[in-house]
Amino acid sequence: MQISGMRYGVELLKLVDYPVPDILLATATPEDLQALLNKYKKIVVKPVFTGGVGKKGKAGLIKIVDNVPDALKAKKELYFAEHTYNSKTITANGVTFEGYIPAEMEVYFSITESTIFRRPIFTISTFGGVDIESTDENQKRVIDIHPLTGLKSFDITNALTELNCPEEFISPLVQHLPKLWELYNNYGLTTVELNPIRMAREKGKIIPYACDFKAAFDIDNPSWKRLGLPETVSRTQMTPFETEINQLRTYQGQSDVLELNPEGKIIPFMFGGGASSAATEILGSYAIFSSDFGGNPPYEKMYEIAKIVFKHWYDKADVLLIIGGKANNTDIYLTFKGIFDALRDHIAKHGKKPIYTVIGRGGPNLIKGMFYAKDILDTLKLPYKIFGYDTSMILTLEYAKKICDWWMNEGKKEYAQKFELTNN
Amino acid sequence: MRVLKTYPFNYFVGIKSLEELVTKDDKVCVINILGNESKKVTPVSHEYSGGNIVAGVQYGKSGKLETKIGDIPVYPSVKKVIEAGHKFTIGVIYLPPAAVFQAVSELLIYNDELKKIVILTEKISVKDSREIRAICQEAGVDVIGGNCLGVANVWDHVRVGGALAGDKPEETLIKGSIAIHSNSGNFTTTIAEYLKTAGFGTSTVVSSGKDVYIHFAVPEFLYAAENDPRTKAVVLYVEPGGYYEKMALDMIQEGKLKFTKPIVVCVTGRWKKNVQRACGHAGALAGSGDDAESKEKWFDDYFGVGVFDPHNPVVSEKGVRVSSIQIIPEAMKYIFEKLKIKPDFNPIGDLSLKLWLSDKFITPPADLNIPVVRAIPPYDQQIKEMNKLVGAQYLRQNMRNKSGASRMNPENDVSELHGKSILELSKHTIEENIYFALAKVMPEKNDIPTINLLLNLFLKMDKSRMDIVKIGKDNAASPNAYIGSLLCLIGNKKLLEKARQHARFIIDLIREHEIDEDTKFYPPEIRQIILEQLLTNENQQESEVSKILYKEITKSTKKCTALQMCQYIIKLAEDNNLYIKDTYEFLLASVCVCILWKPMMEKRITKQLVEDSLSYFYVLARIYAYSCIHPENNKFWQKLTDTELISNLNASFTENAFKILFNREPTEQELFEFKTLIGLTITNGPGTLSVKGAKESVSARNHISMAFVGFLTNTGFAHGGNGFEAVEFLYNKFKEFNLNDPGNQNHSINLKEIANKATLEYAEYKKKEKELGLLNYKKIPCINHPVFKGNDVNIDPREQFVSLELKNRNIYNIFLDFYHTLVWELYNEGVTKNVFCVNVDAVLAVITLKLVWKDLQEGKISLKDVQDIVFTLFLYGRCIGVAAEIADHRDRGQDMDCRTPQSEIQFVL
Repeated sequence: MQISGMRYGVELLKLVDYPVPDILLATATPEDLQALLNKYKKIVVKPVFTGGVGKKGKAGLIKIVDNVPDALKAKKELYFAEHTYNSKTITANGVTFEGYIPAEMEVYFSITESTIFRRPIFTISTFGGVDIESTDENQKRVIDIHPLTGLKSFDITNALTELNCPEEFISPLVQHLPKLWELYNNYGLTTVELNPIRMAREKGKIIPYACDFKAAFDIDNPSWKRLGLPETVSRTQMTPFETEINQLRTYQGQSDVLELNPEGKIIPFMFGGGASSAATEILGSYAIFSSDFGGNPPYEKMYEIAKIVFKHWYDKADVLLIIGGKANNTDIYLTFKGIFDALRDHIAKHGKKPIYTVIGRGGPNLIKGMFYAKDILDTLKLPYKIFGYDTSMILTLEYAKKICDWWMNEGKKEYAQKFELTNN
Repeated sequence: MRVLKTYPFNYFVGIKSLEELVTKDDKVCVINILGNESKKVTPVSHEYSGGNIVAGVQYGKSGKLETKIGDIPVYPSVKKVIEAGHKFTIGVIYLPPAAVFQAVSELLIYNDELKKIVILTEKISVKDSREIRAICQEAGVDVIGGNCLGVANVWDHVRVGGALAGDKPEETLIKGSIAIHSNSGNFTTTIAEYLKTAGFGTSTVVSSGKDVYIHFAVPEFLYAAENDPRTKAVVLYVEPGGYYEKMALDMIQEGKLKFTKPIVVCVTGRWKKNVQRACGHAGALAGSGDDAESKEKWFDDYFGVGVFDPHNPVVSEKGVRVSSIQIIPEAMKYIFEKLKIKPDFNPIGDLSLKLWLSDKFITPPADLNIPVVRAIPPYDQQIKEMNKLVGAQYLRQNMRNKSGASRMNPENDVSELHGKSILELSKHTIEENIYFALAKVMPEKNDIPTINLLLNLFLKMDKSRMDIVKIGKDNAASPNAYIGSLLCLIGNKKLLEKARQHARFIIDLIREHEIDEDTKFYPPEIRQIILEQLLTNENQQESEVSKILYKEITKSTKKCTALQMCQYIIKLAEDNNLYIKDTYEFLLASVCVCILWKPMMEKRITKQLVEDSLSYFYVLARIYAYSCIHPENNKFWQKLTDTELISNLNASFTENAFKILFNREPTEQELFEFKTLIGLTITNGPGTLSVKGAKESVSARNHISMAFVGFLTNTGFAHGGNGFEAVEFLYNKFKEFNLNDPGNQNHSINLKEIANKATLEYAEYKKKEKELGLLNYKKIPCINHPVFKGNDVNIDPREQFVSLELKNRNIYNIFLDFYHTLVWELYNEGVTKNVFCVNVDAVLAVITLKLVWKDLQEGKISLKDVQDIVFTLFLYGRCIGVAAEIADHRDRGQDMDCRTPQSEIQFVL
């Protein structure tokens, strides 16, 4: 889960008493906006996106205004602004009006996990406001943080000194930045980034205002739930299928199901993270979704999962694929029973449509499971090929794709004629 | 802060060589040893390793975990393990994510000799993971995991942690020279399997997990592999996220880490780049620098050659990258050739497509038409055995207070049998519902006449049996008693047992020889078996009924494997001038197997049920046959039970049941009402006394007939017979009126007046009872309900459903109308605080009274007869649901499972 922008950033930062400008939401009245202008002279208008936004950059998505009509105009333009990154386009849903902070310097600061240091690190640069990856190495410092003792003031002081940060800015940063560790460590964050922090002078004091905020959360750390963020924030854009099936997600052994291609032709039940990765890669656009149903799910869960899968995809798919390596502790019989009972019941309720089954699996109760599948498919008169685990999983996947091609183009028709199926 | 460092690393690494990662000398303590996963996996690890687990911890409990080589003692905490004198060097953690950190702390605090911790748990929070690393680094303890499937030292036959290599690790882990480090638990095993096909075994195998923090990652793994004399090469399976591999390769290239052995690496996960949602833990943090493509480039740069192409194999002495794991063995083979090192042994198997099972429906094109091969042992033998098994398979369990047949739907409080509500079942006939109770699906249309045939056939009986019923009736025995008395005598009569044996024979013959609908020619051994075991020279008595059954089977064109087999047997007998032993029973069995073949093959029902099915049809039919109130006056019953009269056996059993009970032909309306009434009574969930009686009888291992007696015994005037209370109530309200036809809406009776009178009478009665302090006063039957109450106007949705059905068919019932008027009157007169619902029992009562009204008015039956009719109607419906429960308990239950444990028994003074 990720959040981006000051809409919720302000609430998190206020929790740890980190300085933030005043902000108003899209519901602000002209009077509210005028009051904000009176205080700050200018307002920064930004669109609100849910979830991560990649590297946003500044161009086009921020407007700075100095009067209410312009603010309202900016709101209209940015309310449903679109942003494209990594070939994906997301749409905003709202705006924030943020008090403009005139700055003498902009600072970049983030905390994230580092697999190089094998502990959290903070990154700090006195050239904030730009993409940190484009900043020169000598313009930033990366310092590891001891997980138990946390972010220390002297680390920040040392880093800023090495960066030739003007002395008057060091103390306020040292005073406030450690609060971000409090937020990071106590609320299950895996990334927090403030870019920029604008160093503003107010009544003789320098205050490091957070003027943008990004955070990523560890979905397996329930601490973030204490933040009381609304459900819409944690809800990423999931398809109806993903929403329904991921409610069955358990904490052990299974990852989220991901809809890859709703026009795909193969329903792939994947078992094991490795199988999931390999299968997804090899099947490519044939696969309707990516999954990992390993971890020895009980029969009832497997049945419910399969029921949902068939509900969404049975009519569109040409191949039912069950793929995995030699399972270590997943009961093959129970998982197959769950899948094929659901198939049988789905067909009994909604009618039969020709589908070809390919299985490649190994593990405990293997033959019992294979025969369960075989008996049901025989009764339903649906064709199948069942490979043992001594067959390469990759070859099985390639075979499934070829069978799919043949089935789609010729096999289905031949089958329908043979069994006198009518088109539904 | 001082930090332990192990050259060449900036952090602590205790493992110097893979040889010492896990050894025979390491002793293990497993935390959460009695958890679901550990219970299955730990004994395998312990046995495989020769007994390396000295103790386990199950918080708050003591005990033991049984293994084939002795029990492992279990203590309530790590502290207790140490206090008991156990020494161990490895802690294995199976706990849920939130508990892992404290378990790590506990291990560090109490065990000074601890060297390693293996964490199997997946989805540990990143915070906990980094804190675990921090405290273990300070303590100088290595961590493998989280999300680790296990670690194995193949040479020493030691496995620590999870289910790595499955429940038979010795099949996969064969001594050799390759070490594996895999981010995927399952692929750790799969890669070891694949390597065998090129003649490579394994030295040490590590499932590293794929969390953000991999605590035994590639740098320290390569360091330890370099120092391991047994290891000649390594295989890495790498997923996106994390810079571990880059660190290792940089250190090697910078000369900081000495590593001279070749690496075969498979990097996967290119597709994850295009996915916006987090794919696993590490995926959530994978940026552009540590995605799959970046990792591929790291390795390609290190090797100095591109990805391995099997058609044009190029490898370097440092190793090579492969695009998929199936190519690992071949790439390794080329590397060894280049280094002039021999593989570990001759190749075992290969990875080509090996088809174990295939359909016979459609032939794919030649390039896809792979032949079925014999599976590797022991699976080949298992396949042979499995070919014989058929039908649903259940794990037996204690079935006391449990049912796989019926339930009360918690959302709407409507009972269901096999997933269909009684409202739905009330739309079907008795014969359809009987079939459904056994088969769990409604019958095909073509099978309904056959079902009727069986049921009507078993109505035929020796009428002298009814003398016993008469004795009972003369002694005021209730219907459950006198019907039950005759059922007791059925036992496991020869007819039923022989039919069972025949059914078994037919099914086994088909399955053992893998016959299906498309089999055109039976193998010769089938003919031999039939001739030897089933056919005889002895003339078998042929009855008229046998002829009917014979015709039923031989003339049927239904596409069914069982039918084809039965037809084959009959023809074989005819062609050889032989007879089928116990022909009548064979024909009956054939009919049963044929109509139940499809649900058995669909694994809805067990083979046992199909074998027993004739018993169910027989006993159920007999319940109806024995239920006639006045058999001496009932010409319909006399004809239906006459063994000489066997025409029209395919007629509707529902109509026949009506005739038996009401001694007249039903009108279409009456048939509908009758059907509705029976359907609504089929089940009220598994907690009813009637069902409990049947289940307990099964639990005592009785025959099917006695299980039905158990059902009957547990009905009575409070359960089953209590419907009469409402009938009597209504009768008393209406008897003084000149009501000819309760189904005529144009009556002149003032229902409001009757209702008001009843209301005032009841109010008076209630008041008097309360004044006497008697709070258990009688309630007006059939109104109100413990669930459907509390609103201003309450409705029982089941009653509403039926009322609507009746209304749609223009079926009027004055008594139902009266009830609806009554509940309003009770409210209007202030007797009730809101308008009570008319509950579903009212439907049963009003329909019953309507059906008997005319005969009652005309004196053809007495009120006592009505009482018996009400009870019998209940038995008619409930016996159907009970059939399903008996079958369910016989399939799933255990002997004596319905016994009440002593702990639930109380003594009352």
